[in-house]
Amino acid sequence: MKEKVNLDNLKAWQQDFYQGIFNPKVENIERACIDVAGTDSLSPEARLDIYRGSILGGITTALMGIYPVCEKLVGELYFTQMVAGYLRKYPSSSPDIGGYGEFLGDYLADFIVNNSSAQALIYLPDTARLEWLWHKAFNAVEAELTPGTCQRITELGLVEVERQGAIQFILEPSVGMMKSAYPVDKIWQVNHASHAAEELQAISLDDGAVNLLIRRGIDYEMSIESISDDLYLFLYALLNNKSFAQIAQLEFDTSIADLLGYCLQNSLIMGFRLLDE
Amino acid sequence: MTTGEFSAQSIKGAGLGLRSSHYQEIFETKPDVPWFELLSDNYMADGGLPIQRAELIRQDYPITLHGVGMSLGSADPLNTDYLQRLKKLADRLQPTYVSDHIAWVSIDGQYTHDLLPLPYTQQIQQHLIERINQVQEFLGRKILIENPSSYLTFHSTDMNEDEFIKGISQATDCELLLDINNIYVSAQNHGFDPYAYLDNIPVDKVKEIHLAGYEEMPGYLFDTHGYQVKPPVWDLYCAALKRFGAVPTLIEWDTDVPNFSTLRAEALKAEDKMRALAAGSLGS
Repeated sequence: MKEKVNLDNLKAWQQDFYQGIFNPKVENIERACIDVAGTDSLSPEARLDIYRGSILGGITTALMGIYPVCEKLVGELYFTQMVAGYLRKYPSSSPDIGGYGEFLGDYLADFIVNNSSAQALIYLPDTARLEWLWHKAFNAVEAELTPGTCQRITELGLVEVERQGAIQFILEPSVGMMKSAYPVDKIWQVNHASHAAEELQAISLDDGAVNLLIRRGIDYEMSIESISDDLYLFLYALLNNKSFAQIAQLEFDTSIADLLGYCLQNSLIMGFRLLDE
Repeated sequence: MTTGEFSAQSIKGAGLGLRSSHYQEIFETKPDVPWFELLSDNYMADGGLPIQRAELIRQDYPITLHGVGMSLGSADPLNTDYLQRLKKLADRLQPTYVSDHIAWVSIDGQYTHDLLPLPYTQQIQQHLIERINQVQEFLGRKILIENPSSYLTFHSTDMNEDEFIKGISQATDCELLLDINNIYVSAQNHGFDPYAYLDNIPVDKVKEIHLAGYEEMPGYLFDTHGYQVKPPVWDLYCAALKRFGAVPTLIEWDTDVPNFSTLRAEALKAEDKMRALAAGSLGS
């Protein structure tokens, strides 16, 4: 874009400016600065750099808030560099900054695969995924059933036997789950500020794989719980809106009645709906 | 939940930007603060502790909502999903004002989460006028728009920022949130007279003032919101009070947030100046 900014080229100019910020190659910076007035004290490029620093600083601070354990594990400098790379690969599509950062775990997984020097951080992607689930659970919508289409658990006994296969249980909205080959729940616990006073325990990456349930309680307390393979499979089916008949086809070592009982006793299920035949 | 129990209240005096590190002290001591400003983008989630805390604050104080996500100056279409959530938040909390900035934040649906500058031309001015009208129609309420701090200017610019803002405020029924620190920072960075800027802003349009601290960097001032309000900004604030009256004023402090008493002390300085204005003893 060579002409001055006007409404017809506003989009192209803003695209150039964006690229000059996030992909600071020489040619991108030149295009971003073509209409920028410099002074003796600061060149157009230096002025653009002020915005770049401000944006990166703001987003890094926000992501440190969502990923405090990852930041603690790698240190502020490394985390800041990581965020710069993440921003280039996963631009924010969220107008509110709290909605940005979902794919940091995926970015880290790619980064570690492609950087042999980062192999020691092999547990970091799953730690990031855990922190994102924690963030999502913390901000999840309140548990409320949609009137008319959903029923309370107390009404479960009223469902006729021949209709029980059509039951679709509704999970409490903050419930999140993940699997990891590493004990990321323990890694999280010994590194998170809320557990700082606890006695540090030795963690071995060979401690084994974990299934984790992340949720927010009725008093806004947060929990990360290690759960069995069966409970994970059961909850995963519920999370994917499987009917009770479909769930009954799955193979469990534990009885479905026990799994359902656990979910009800722990308020993981808030209601149900009856699917059409 | 207390949804629907609030009604918008008028505000006066010097309020504070609500920051999470102060929640506990506010809930425990119910400090004598006339109003709080909430960063709307921090309360956009569907549920959870932040919005629950916001409702608790709202039970005791009037609030305003201030955001950066409208991207009023962008070439993108307005993000109606964002506006819908903002409307829902405003309906829930009943703020006295909802405000955002004269800036662009996004392009091609990609957000920078920072306020980026615009060339000040009649065409861009018209672009903002149309979008502000659309936002106000969508939200069903007037909004306040804030002058940004800036670190660069454009060859395309053919009017001063104050002229640009004045034209927008006269062509729409939006009102103004005048950030005195931003005026001073931009004036120093670009070499204009901040007092002449104030003199060109319509008196009846200014409904809120922001104050904050800047940082001196090599070759420019940086609007960090991480310090006490600096003396030249207090001087400019006094001039603003003389021109616009005792407009509700907010202390913003976003980085290296101090303890609550330090923040409150800044607000009390602003209230001292409002009292001096009323007494006819306000100096420069």
